[in-house]
Parts: sequence; structure tokens; C-alpha cells
Amino acid sequence: MRREKLGILLALTAVVVTACGGASGGGTPTTGAAIVFGAAVSLTGAQSKEGGLTKQGYDLWLDWINQRGGIVVNGVKHPVQIKYEDDQSTPNLSATLVQKLITDEKAQFILGPYGSAATATDAIVAEKNGVPMVEANGAAQSIFSKGYKFTFGVLSPANKYLTGVLDMAATLSPKPTTIAMLTANDNFSVEVAKAVEDYAPTKGFQVIFTKQYPAAAPEVSGLISQAARLNPDIVMNSGHLAESIAINKGAKQLGLNAKIFAYSVGPSTPDFIKALGPDANYVFDGSQWTPQVKYKPSFYLSVSEYVKAYKTKYSTTDDPDYHVAESTAACLAFQKAIENAGSLDATKVRDALAGLDVMTFFGQIKFDSRGINTFKPMVVEQIQNGTHYTVFPADVANGKPQYPTPPWSSR
Amino acid sequence: MSQFTQQVILGLLLGGIYVAVALGFSLVWGILNIVNLAHGALVIVGSYITWDLFTRWHIDPFLSLPIDALVLFVIGYALQRGVINRVIRAPLLFTFLLTFGINLIIVSLLLLIFTPDFRSVTPSYSGNGLHLGSVTIPYIRFGGLVVAFLLAGAMWTILNRTRIGAAILAVGADRDAAQLVGIDLRHMYALTFGIGAAFAGVAGGIISTFQSITPTAGDPYTLQAFAVVILGGLGRVSATVLGGLTFGLIEILGQSGPGPGYANAIAFVVLVIVLVVRPRGLLGRLA
Repeated sequence: MRREKLGILLALTAVVVTACGGASGGGTPTTGAAIVFGAAVSLTGAQSKEGGLTKQGYDLWLDWINQRGGIVVNGVKHPVQIKYEDDQSTPNLSATLVQKLITDEKAQFILGPYGSAATATDAIVAEKNGVPMVEANGAAQSIFSKGYKFTFGVLSPANKYLTGVLDMAATLSPKPTTIAMLTANDNFSVEVAKAVEDYAPTKGFQVIFTKQYPAAAPEVSGLISQAARLNPDIVMNSGHLAESIAINKGAKQLGLNAKIFAYSVGPSTPDFIKALGPDANYVFDGSQWTPQVKYKPSFYLSVSEYVKAYKTKYSTTDDPDYHVAESTAACLAFQKAIENAGSLDATKVRDALAGLDVMTFFGQIKFDSRGINTFKPMVVEQIQNGTHYTVFPADVANGKPQYPTPPWSSR
Repeated sequence: MSQFTQQVILGLLLGGIYVAVALGFSLVWGILNIVNLAHGALVIVGSYITWDLFTRWHIDPFLSLPIDALVLFVIGYALQRGVINRVIRAPLLFTFLLTFGINLIIVSLLLLIFTPDFRSVTPSYSGNGLHLGSVTIPYIRFGGLVVAFLLAGAMWTILNRTRIGAAILAVGADRDAAQLVGIDLRHMYALTFGIGAAFAGVAGGIISTFQSITPTAGDPYTLQAFAVVILGGLGRVSATVLGGLTFGLIEILGQSGPGPGYANAIAFVVLVIVLVVRPRGLLGRLA
């Protein structure tokens, strides 16, 4: 008797579950029209490397979502297309191409370009056309200070890039005290440096040298020899990959020995280690994401699955660097927002983006009133014996900082 | 004081690189009247050859310089003979347009072959230097300066002590007259461009040792070569040497004085002043 009741109960449950499933999903969802995303990324020109990484991140998600039939909007699966244009690393061209993507190629949503400069110009076009843009590679806060309603950035803003290194440095012994700062003169790098200069005194550091150099010309030996005279404990560069390589080489050549070398952009890419060999060791950087972070995503892939998917798709042994991960995260923000909105209407998706709060492999994605993701922390990485280790904050770290950096003569 | 000495030394070392980059550019401009906008791309081709030989077979970057020169000479000769010769007598704009196109093609090919990854040649001695009191002279950069002077010496010897040099100068002075005395113009054009490209390749090899290279890294070097030649003047090897060293000094001293943001501004202000006061450059010959 008992067993019979249980059987009936189970059968009833099964019926109810099936019915519910049917009600919300309509059996297997029918397929709708393709959703068109547009992206103007740098595939040629000075930033073709970073632009290529951006595209890799977008394409990784594109494959995944289309394998599942697309984004589900009100029970209907819409496959996804991403239309690309090459902005040739020219910000003004980027804006023109975004307009072309919207008007000619009927892009319904815009994925951001590479770099703060291009993102700033693209944001104007997105705003003018009322098309939502989620960007992953423009960290300058100035992009978001103009009151735009349609631009959202999934990455931590520029002011967080190197302040994490200072938080970490404050925990080290003997504690470093003096900082030399070399800054490229673009809006992103200047914001990174400004944040360091504002934050350093509150943690007991003193900025004793700060100079800007033109972003396009990575000849900085004069600056390095000046900094070397002051024997700073911490040498920081707020710039780009090319300059971080030049600065590291110059520091060795000119005997600039610091306890900490920390660069905003560069060391996280495999190129940095390949170009410098053992000289890349001990270098710190602030990173948006590392393959070691321990986030528990609510959808899409876990961190380890993501790394595996990347290596498989691009037949490489290199880990994806954060440019790839943040670009994928932009797609995830769109996917969730469209699902939450239950609509492809631009304004509804925009509103859903504004209210988004979701945990992904990349970390939390949630936007403040300006559209910046101020809720995700940055991590500090260090290169140790040719490998990246996440060394700060301790709760996501898989290594301890190697400190102090030995002088060049005894490496 | 030692700080100033250090800056002057760094300026001269950087100037050496500019000399190396500008020698070939100056030759092609002076003799063929071609402002070669693909010059920087040729420089970077040299960088990639050095990088490739270093990573593949661990050939020392300085030993690979003759190979850079040889490969680039062949490329340069073929480019001039096969392509640029066709418009050599056309107005300057045509050669401008053509070399601009060649630049794009070379950069795109490099992008395809080498991908946009950042590369750099870092031999074991790359960070060592000579320490004289509180002044440091990095070996690599010093090696670059020595090579630049060797190149300048070679260029001078070719032009002033060889029959080919005499023929090249004759072509530069008067094409029609040169042809009348039996000089094969098409061959001479190609030879001149080939030598210019070879020198660019050597400069690229040096550059790969202290900067990171990408397919587009050459663009600034075209501009710098242009500025060096304007500053020093056309038509003399010594003018290029003076122009290059001056430009390097201005850049480094500008970095430490008013700030790096102004270094280029100062360099180009000096350039404008030279153009106004002495239009043929510091040491240039009158046309």
C-alpha cells in the first residue's frame, strides 16, 4: 500500500514537472531569427595583438551559444551572429565602423572595441543610435562620466589596475616605501597612474618620481636612468605591452634595481615572457582575471572549463589572458540581459543590463549607475620561473609573492 | 653632473640607432629622389630575420646582421627593379603612393607570417653594461652605435671609393648624362635601393635587441629617418650621422628636461628652425 502511494506520488510529480517544463519552454523552443552583434576590433595596426585577443574572447562564446542553439528569448532560441569590422587601431575609424555596423549591417547590439580611446568614440555612436554596447577593453572611467545610458563595461575600471599591487606591497616585509611611476600619456594610463598617486600616501608610500611619456614611442632609457638615480623601492609602469618590455630591458641595462617591478599592462600576456625570457621573472601586474581565480559561476563555463575550451579552440598551450576572458564576459552580460529582458528591444535590453547582477567565471558582473563594473576585484599576478601565479588577494591566490626582487647582478 | 653625462651618453647611443635607420633612407632619397615610406617596414623585416635566427638557431643578433643585409638587399633590388622602376620618372606623388602601398603590403605579410605577437631578442648579455663611476653604458646599445658608425663608414667608402659608388652618384647628379656614358640606369636604381634596404635591415637587427618588435613597429622609424635627413641634410653621409646623433640627443635630453611629452615637440621645433634658417640641413649640399 505504502509502495503504491509512493508510486502514485512519483508519477504525479513527473506529470507536474513535464507540464511545467512544457509551459515555460513550449517543448523544444522553436528557432527565431538570428541576433546580430557588431564589433569593430583592431585586427591590423598597432593594437592588432590586443584586438585579436578581444575577437578570440567573443568567438569563444559565439561557438558555445550557437552549439546550444542560441540565446533563449521567451522560449524561442535565436542563433547569434557577430559581424566584425577592422578599426585598424584607429579610434576615429572605430566609431565610423560602429555606425556602419548599425545602419548597413543591422547590428542590434554592439560589443566593444579594444582600448579606452576607441571605446570612448564608439560609446558616442551607441548612445546616438540608442543601441546597447557592452565593452570589455576600455577601462578609463572618463568613458562613463558623460552620462551615457547605453554603454556598459564589464571590466574593473582603470583606477583599480595598480592599487592592488600597493595593497599587496603594504603586507610585505621589509615594507617598500618609495615609488617611481612611468606613465604613458593616454587617458587610460593616466587614470591608472593618478589612482596610484592618490592612493599611495594612504598606505604609507611616497611617490618620488613620476613622468609621462608619449604612448607611441617606447624609447624610455632617459627616464629609466633618471629613476635609477633615486633608488625607488617600487617601479611602476602604467602603459602598454611594448613599453613594459622596453622598460624591463632598460632597467636591466641601466642597473635600475627595485624591490618590486609592477606594470599595468603587458606581463599578463604570454608575449611578455617569450620576449624577455628569465628577465620576466619577479614582475608583478594587476590583472582583470587570471586562470587561477576561484569564482563560482551561475552559468556558462567554470574557470577550468573555460581555460580548456580556449586551448582546444585555438590549439595552443598558452592560457587565455585576461583580455580574452573579459571579452567573453561582455558576451555573457548581453546573453543574460537579453534572457532577463525576454525581448530583443534595445531599450528593454539596456534596462536589463542596468539591473544585471550575475556571477560568471570572470567574476561578478554588475554595473554602477555610470555603467562601470565596480563590483569585481582585480588580482595581482607575479611571474615566477616563467609561469604566472596569482599572488594577491590571498583568498584567490595560488602562490605567494616572491619578494624582494633580487638585483639584476645576482639573478 | 653625472646624471647629465649619463643622459648625453644615452642620447648618443639612441642617435646611433637613428643614424643606422636613416643612412639607407637618405641614400634612396638623395639618389633616386624617392621618399621611401616603406623604409620602416624594411627595418622591421630585418628585425624579424634577426629574431627568427636567434630563436631558431640561437645565432647571436650581431652575427645575424650580415644575413639581414643580404636578404634585404635582395628584397630591395627586386622591389626597385620589378616595381618602383616603373614610376621612377613620374612625379613625387606617384612614388609616395607606391611606397605607401608597399609598406602596407609588407606590414600585412609580416602580420600573416609572424602574427601580431610582440617579439624581442634577449641574448644573455643583453642587460650587461660598462660601469664608469656612476655612468652606465649598456653593451647592446654601444654595439648598436659601433655598427652605426661601421655602416656610415661603409656607405662613405661605397660612394666615394668604388666604381659602383661613382656610378650611383652619377645617376643622382644627372640621370640622362649617366645613361649617355653607358651606365645601366635600371640596374643602378635597383642597386641603390637594394643597398638602402640592406642598411635598413641591419638597423632593424640592432633594434630587435632593445625594443619589442611587431609588424607595425616600423612606422615611427620612417618618420624618424625623414626627420634625421631633413635635420642633417641630403647628399652626405656625414650629414646623416650628425642629424641622427643630434636627434637622439634631443630626444633623451628632452625626456629628462621638460619631459618626454615634449621631446618630439622640441625635435620638430628644431627641425622647423633648421628648415627656415638653413633649408638644405645642417650639412646638406645645395641641390
